[in-house]
Amino acid sequence: MIAVVGLALGILLGLVLEPTLPAFLAPYLPIMIIAALDALFGAARAYLEGTFADRVFVVSFFSNVLIAALIVWIGDQIGVGGQLSTGVVVVLGIRIFNNAAAIRRAILHA
Amino acid sequence: MSLLSDLVETSLDPGYAHAHSQGVPPRRSRVLMLVTLLVAGAMLAIAAVTDTRDQPAQARERAALIDQVKGLREENEQLRRQLAEVEGDVEKLQAQALGKDSTPAAELSRQAAQTAAAAVTGPGVVVTVDDSTTLDGADAEVLDQDLRILVNGLWLAGAEAIAINGHRLSARTAIRGAGRAITVDYTSLTRPYVVEAIGNPKALPGRLTANSGGRWWVYLKQNFGMRYDITTSTSITLQADPGLGVRKARPHP
Repeated sequence: MIAVVGLALGILLGLVLEPTLPAFLAPYLPIMIIAALDALFGAARAYLEGTFADRVFVVSFFSNVLIAALIVWIGDQIGVGGQLSTGVVVVLGIRIFNNAAAIRRAILHA
Repeated sequence: MSLLSDLVETSLDPGYAHAHSQGVPPRRSRVLMLVTLLVAGAMLAIAAVTDTRDQPAQARERAALIDQVKGLREENEQLRRQLAEVEGDVEKLQAQALGKDSTPAAELSRQAAQTAAAAVTGPGVVVTVDDSTTLDGADAEVLDQDLRILVNGLWLAGAEAIAINGHRLSARTAIRGAGRAITVDYTSLTRPYVVEAIGNPKALPGRLTANSGGRWWVYLKQNFGMRYDITTSTSITLQADPGLGVRKARPHP
């Protein structure tokens, strides 16, 4: 319950306040969102499987987002930003699909 | 494969299983949890907002650029017309200044016709070429190189004056590819490409077909289905190429 309320509140806050992202962060927002989605799907799966722990979720969320942005930032510095962000998207994308499949199995038993 | 199976097996953060096995209580700090979720939601919202906010700006920029291109193209056309007018005036003044002495006047107009500085008229052929209608893709499109080969073939076949889509070719005319368009005298052409050449209408088509230019285009027509039509005409009028004056070059003493 708190998860849905928190997410909805966050979206609402973002839409109402329209905070402008610092310019240096703007290119990394998409990759950070992918990492955040990965953490969210992982948490939902863990919740459904009964192994959820909020400390793990909080830590994995921020570390995922930070590391994803950091990898792409380093890639940009050494000129392989595009390739590295593709790599991050592939890895996180596979994880998101797997977790989504597990969530589907847990909810629909199919 | 172990990389992929690793990835699939650890889709769920191993931390959850570890915490569960150690008996960490599922809920300890609701505040931290809420903050994290707020951040996640806000990130999604910011992405959506910045995306929709930037779109109109990009569209405006694009429209402004298109307007600019159109405006400059019109200005270019106008300047060309103005140049042709002024050159007409120059010719008239020259004729007046030369007066009754007809030898230099005749020499002048002969040279002007040869160098594409004056409009010329005479019999000749009209070659119409175009992209293929049966095949798609870059292979079946007319390239600047194809037009150059055709024009060179026409010169070789004895053409005395040539124009492409109304742009008279002189010694200073460039036929180039710019992006996907072909430009003649730095003006882009629209399809189909009509190449008019003044010369002996009886001899030109035969000689063109026999030389490399004609052979290349027959090849393109047969293999790629491109349009390549030659018709003869008893009277073709080709306009002068404006802007032919020389500033640096002087007659060699």
